[in-house]
Amino acid sequence: MGAQNRYRGNFQGTDSIIELYGVSTVYAGEKRPAIKDITFSIEKGEYVLISGPNGAGKTTLLETILGLLKPRSGKIKLLGYEIPRRALEARKLCSYVPQDFIRSPDEVFKAKEVVAMGIASNRPLGKLRRDDWRRVEEALELLGISDLAERPIGKLSGGQQQKVFIARALVRDPRVLFLDEPFSALDSKSRIFLSDLLEELHEEDKTILLVAHAPPELKSIDREIYMVEGRIEKVIVH
Amino acid sequence: MSLIIYAILASAISGSLCGVSGTLISRLRISTLVFAIAHGALCGAALGLAIGADTLITAISIAILTAMIIGPISDATGIPSSTIAMVLFSIYNALTFIFILLSPGPALAAEKVGGILWGSVLAVTNRFLTLLIATLFLYVLILRILWRRFQSILFDRELAESEGVNTKLYVYLLIILVGVIITLSLKIVGGFLVFSLLYIPAACSMRISDHLTGRITSSAIIGSLSGISGVLVSFYLNLPIGACIVIAASIIFVISILIAYIK
Repeated sequence: MGAQNRYRGNFQGTDSIIELYGVSTVYAGEKRPAIKDITFSIEKGEYVLISGPNGAGKTTLLETILGLLKPRSGKIKLLGYEIPRRALEARKLCSYVPQDFIRSPDEVFKAKEVVAMGIASNRPLGKLRRDDWRRVEEALELLGISDLAERPIGKLSGGQQQKVFIARALVRDPRVLFLDEPFSALDSKSRIFLSDLLEELHEEDKTILLVAHAPPELKSIDREIYMVEGRIEKVIVH
Repeated sequence: MSLIIYAILASAISGSLCGVSGTLISRLRISTLVFAIAHGALCGAALGLAIGADTLITAISIAILTAMIIGPISDATGIPSSTIAMVLFSIYNALTFIFILLSPGPALAAEKVGGILWGSVLAVTNRFLTLLIATLFLYVLILRILWRRFQSILFDRELAESEGVNTKLYVYLLIILVGVIITLSLKIVGGFLVFSLLYIPAACSMRISDHLTGRITSSAIIGSLSGISGVLVSFYLNLPIGACIVIAASIIFVISILIAYIK
């Protein structure tokens, strides 16, 4: 709650949720930046698709905004917090579905435990309340994987594992949702379901940043940022 | 209490602490970091011998210092922390030999030098046992209070970080605790073998349980059993305590593989 109040105070009257000014990120040992001189802002409730070919810097961009990668130059603000300096506070209000989610068959954590970890991150010392487990059940039910709750995540199929990660992101009730290729392992029926679900979240005024290489038909996208070789090639307003 | 009771108690506690730590370290994939910390502790103990200081204090100091400098050096140089750990490991090895040669008395023949290299039952004093018991209580308390946090980090450190968890803080806390455990265990099993006591029980537990808490519990029990049986064999056959503990752990490992194979 405190974090939400600070967020309002820091915004100086703008509605921007994400702001980037001349951001470049270089991986350790590399000379060429993975993203170069990126400047844009995303308003509250916007649904933005980041697309482009392989190696365009889409994932790097998401991880730089979240402060998981340190930018070499430029300024970033996420929910009013300066990134990476105050990244931990900003991330409490966000959810991230990573691109690399597949777990090995010997992964021991159960699906419901993985989803519960999403809530535990926002609780003091990670302690869960009884009500939190009800939310976990609801998230699993929403994604249609209630029957997998007790199964170790490593024993699930790629698509099922991806749904567990999406459930973990949604159970946090985030202000900003970062999704990196969330359709990659899903079958056609599940892709349509997730696409509809994202539309609903958009209607609920959630800010969504979606990285997708070949997304299904996305009706309610506000903007598409097309990247090539670490730069923004074009911005398409829908 | 007689020396053997002291030794059995200390080895059982030390074995269980090492077993649990090994399971957590393997999950976090920080084995090379802990490898450097273990050799830092050995180097610290050797330094203590050379300058005539308390080896426990010098060993813990270097172990904690190592845990705290690997990350910042890696951040400052852009070199992966595992590579920095291996550089430190080499430096510590070289320094250990130098400090041992500089220690008073005939090098390698001295009882104290032997104690830090392959462990000694004479290291188990009243003060040492108290320290071990205090560490056990602290370790259990921290793991119990912060278990949900650790669970999330053990599953996926980067994802926990993306959700606003200060993963560095928790991982460093664990590394420092493991540093202290290694330093204490080093007195019993010795610098050459302490690493085995971290990983053999952890490897056995993977065969025994499909759940993390089950693996942690079983690695604690196996570490403890290795410690007790190692001490008994050591007393009975008059062999070095550290080597006997590791051989006992290895026998349990072979048995766990055979049981898994038969199943």
